[in-house]
Amino acid sequence: MVEWNFLAVLSDIDLLLLGLGNTLVVTALALAFGIPLGLFLALSRLSTIRPLSVGSAFIIEFFRTTPPLVQLFWFFFALPILIDVRMTPFIAAIVTFSIQSSAFFAEVFRGGILSIDKGQWEGAKAIGMTYGQSLRRIVLPQAVKRMIPAFMERSIELLKTTTLVSTVAYADLMFQANDLAQKTFRPLEVYTVVAVIYFLLIFTFSQISIAVEHRLARSGESTVR
Amino acid sequence: MQHTWDFATIFQNWEVLWVGLKGTVVMFLVTVVLGLSGGLVVGMGRYAQNSALRWPATAFVEIFRNTPVLVQIIWFYYAFPILTGIEVNPFLAAVLGISLNTMAFSAEIYRAGIQSIEPGQWEAGKAIGMTYGQTLRRIIMPVAIKRILPALTNRGIEVFKMSTLASVVAYVETLNQAKLIADLNFNPIESYTAVALIFFVVLYPVVQATYALERTLRKSD
Repeated sequence: MVEWNFLAVLSDIDLLLLGLGNTLVVTALALAFGIPLGLFLALSRLSTIRPLSVGSAFIIEFFRTTPPLVQLFWFFFALPILIDVRMTPFIAAIVTFSIQSSAFFAEVFRGGILSIDKGQWEGAKAIGMTYGQSLRRIVLPQAVKRMIPAFMERSIELLKTTTLVSTVAYADLMFQANDLAQKTFRPLEVYTVVAVIYFLLIFTFSQISIAVEHRLARSGESTVR
Repeated sequence: MQHTWDFATIFQNWEVLWVGLKGTVVMFLVTVVLGLSGGLVVGMGRYAQNSALRWPATAFVEIFRNTPVLVQIIWFYYAFPILTGIEVNPFLAAVLGISLNTMAFSAEIYRAGIQSIEPGQWEAGKAIGMTYGQTLRRIIMPVAIKRILPALTNRGIEVFKMSTLASVVAYVETLNQAKLIADLNFNPIESYTAVALIFFVVLYPVVQATYALERTLRKSD
C-alpha cells in the first residue's frame, strides 16, 4: 500500500506557485502577440493579392501541421545559429507559442470574417467606407462576437501547450514540478498536485468558456468553430 | 554570419532517423486505434441513461480534457509506477498518456455526433423491434460517423503531432533521433528543419483531404 505524503510538496508549494505564475505569463504574452498576428495572417489569407494569400496560407498550414515541440526546438536550438542572436528559453517560448497559436487564431478569424454576410461589406462600401473602415467598424465587431467560444477554446489549448517549455528549461509549472520531484524524491505527490493545479485552472477556464457560449446562444448569436 | 545549409549529415545519418520514424509510426498507430475506439465506449457512457455509467465517463472526460497531455505522460511515467507497483517504460507511459487523452477528446466528438441525430430515428428503430444496440449500429452510427468524420480526422492529426511528446520520457521517435543527430553532428538547424519538413509533408495532404471531405459532406447534407 502506498503511503501518500504531501508534506514535502506543501512545504515547497511556493516553488510550484512561482512556476504557475510563469506559465500564466507565457500564456498571456503568447496570446497578446498571437491574436493580432492571427488577424494579420487571416486578412492576408483572404486578400485578393495572390502572393500574400498564398504566403500566409503556407505559414498557417506549416504551423498547424508541425508539432509544437519541434517548433520550440527549432526556435531554441536552430534559430540562434541561423541569425546569430542570443536565445533564452523565455524568448523561444514566446516566439514559438505566439506564432503557433497565431496560425490557429488565423483560422478562427477567417471563419468569423467569412461567416459575415457579403451584404455587410457592400453596405459599408455603398456609404463610402474604405476596406479598413468596413473591416473595423462593420465586419469585425460582428465576427468577433461569433468567434468568442472558438477563441477561448484555442486559448485553453495554448495554456496546455505551454507545458512544453519545461523541455527547454523555462521555469514553468511543469519544470518546477520536475525539479521538485527530483529534490524531494516524491514524484507521486508532486506530479499529482501539479496535475490537480492544472486541472483546477483549466477546468475553471473551460466552465467560463461554456457559460459564455450558452450566453451567446441565448442572445441568438451563431458561433463559428 | 551566414549559415551554409548542409543536409549531407542528415542523409549520412538516415538510419538513425529511420529508427525514429518507425517509432513515430508505431506510437501513432497504437494511440490512434486505442484512443478512437476507446473514445466510442466512453462517449456511449457519457450518453447513457444509467448514472453509474454516466458519472465515471464524465469524470474521465473532464480529467483528461482539462489537464495537459504532457502532464499525463509524465504522471504515468513517474507517479503511476509508485502508486500501482506496475513497471512503466517510456513506450507504455506515452501510450497511456496519449491514448487516454485522445479517448476523452474523441468521446466528446462521438457524443456530439450521436446527439445530432433526431430522436425520431431512435424511436423508429424501436418501433420496428430493434434493440438499443441494433438501433445504434444500424441506424444511428452510420449517419453520425459521416457527420463527425472531419472532427475525427482532425483528432488523428493531433495524435500524430502528439507522438513527439513521447521524446520527453526518452521514447525513441523522430524528434528524439533528430536531437541525437543534432548533438553528435552540431547541425541543429538541418536536423530540426528536417523533422519539421517530415511532419509537414505527411500531414499537409491529410489536412487538405479533410478540407475536401468537409466540403463534400456539407454539399451532401
